[in-house]
Amino acid sequence: MFNIMSITLKGIFRDRVFHGILVVAFILPLIPVISTLSMRQVTELSITLSLSLISFILLLLAVFLGGTALWKDIERRYTYSVLSLPITRSSYLLGRFFGNALFMLITATLLGCVAAVVVWLVASGSPPDRQVVWMNFFLAVFFDAMKYILLVAVAVLFSTVSSSFFLPIFGTISAFLVGSSSQQVYDYVNSQPAQTLSLLTRKTASSLYYVLPNFSAFDLKVNAIYGLPLSLKGLFLTVVYGLVYGGIVLALSSVIFAKKEMK
Amino acid sequence: MNAIEITNLSKTYKGKKFSTVEALKNLNLTVGQGEIFGFLGPNGAGKSTTIKALVGLIAPTAGSATVMGVDISSHEARRHVGYLPENPAFYDYLTAEEYLAFVGKVFHLPESLLREQSERVLKLLELWEARKRPIRGYSKGMVQRVGLAQVLIHDPDVYILDEPMSGLDPVGRALVKDIMLELKARGKCVFFSTHITADVETVCDRVGIILKGELKSVEHVDKIMTEGVLGYNLRIRTRNQPELVERYVAKEDLEMVMQKLFTAGDEISLIEPSRKSLEDFFLDIVKGKIC
Repeated sequence: MFNIMSITLKGIFRDRVFHGILVVAFILPLIPVISTLSMRQVTELSITLSLSLISFILLLLAVFLGGTALWKDIERRYTYSVLSLPITRSSYLLGRFFGNALFMLITATLLGCVAAVVVWLVASGSPPDRQVVWMNFFLAVFFDAMKYILLVAVAVLFSTVSSSFFLPIFGTISAFLVGSSSQQVYDYVNSQPAQTLSLLTRKTASSLYYVLPNFSAFDLKVNAIYGLPLSLKGLFLTVVYGLVYGGIVLALSSVIFAKKEMK
Repeated sequence: MNAIEITNLSKTYKGKKFSTVEALKNLNLTVGQGEIFGFLGPNGAGKSTTIKALVGLIAPTAGSATVMGVDISSHEARRHVGYLPENPAFYDYLTAEEYLAFVGKVFHLPESLLREQSERVLKLLELWEARKRPIRGYSKGMVQRVGLAQVLIHDPDVYILDEPMSGLDPVGRALVKDIMLELKARGKCVFFSTHITADVETVCDRVGIILKGELKSVEHVDKIMTEGVLGYNLRIRTRNQPELVERYVAKEDLEMVMQKLFTAGDEISLIEPSRKSLEDFFLDIVKGKIC
């Protein structure tokens, strides 16, 4: 598995898609200038922009690198030579996933550090009313990375189901959109105004809430921007949720991939 | 212990509109260590299906097979195998050297042995100069050579090669044949599929002919070549004529004709067997003349 992880990382660093996405990161140093557009909350805006940019870059990486990792291997027939080596299908799949996950963590760490410098520069020039809580800032970046690693696991699952390009890419994008709003939908269908909806609609929405990933728990942007206190229990439960959900998705992917015929 | 043992191996694919395609029907075959086995068959006969089942890329519908005594359902069976896919493709962002290092590590080769083996096979396959270039810049023949290099690097007991000569120039083909013969001399098993009967004639001990998923014949190449003699071409210089004369004699008439020629005092300068080629043998099976 570590050998697969290692070549996955090499592949990403040499991938043109990654180079393209990396160009987006050059917007980060422009944030101090853009933040001055806000007359009152310059630091808050710089944190918002930095975290949003990191989030956007990680989303692109999760969709285009995570979503194509297996598909590309099958499409380009690399799997014939790799899966005929004495490695199990599971270790190949997990190697591909953890290679991508490690890369997401490295990217998030690097971008987080650069963003921290940018925010620090802005905060030095325009001191905010509330001090920047750096722990919240870094936790927001870390949980964002966790969210997109979970999305990579979902992308891997789609890749094992379909041999085409469309499901891994568009399925992953759809899972991200639905996963980002499933909490709000769940809260709504369980609220008083939603009782007018049919029982089937409410049950379907509730079932989808449990089946699809819930990404909103990983969003700590507001806590980072305004320095709001974080609940340790909430963070712990989110980590457990991410690990359990990711574990189930990867186990399911392994089972499907083990049965896949390399015709 | 046989290198490869296949017992009643079958593979059925789901076709279009709920139909089924029997790609492989009850295949039984054994290939010994130190043997070169050629697997012949027209396109779609089941050669690649057999090979893919042996290396775990597809699961057989029925039957079983072992490689060096290990069931093919276990990934450990592949520890004994070097597999070259048909029209191979490798991670093209890696260099040949990096890819070989990856394969060597998967096979747990010690670092020093890996370096030594990598240099040896890269030089053997004339990839040494190009070893630090990404595979994406290689020609088709060079990619095929990388395929052979990754097969050789861990020195397995069994070599399963799907169309190994494909994409190679005559020099490359001759090199592959030499490699096969050298492997055989070292007691290794080489199982390869091909369309080219001449390749089988030159290097193989036995040949298996597969047609529409059924193994139609397994024969020693020597036997086919011996039994395939139809007659002889004689080059004769008669007492009356100084120029050489060519004459064809049927196999069963050879003794009698030679006796006559000796009696007449004629000189025989050449007796050349006129034989049925392996290609004729193969075509006879394909056309149903031999069952």
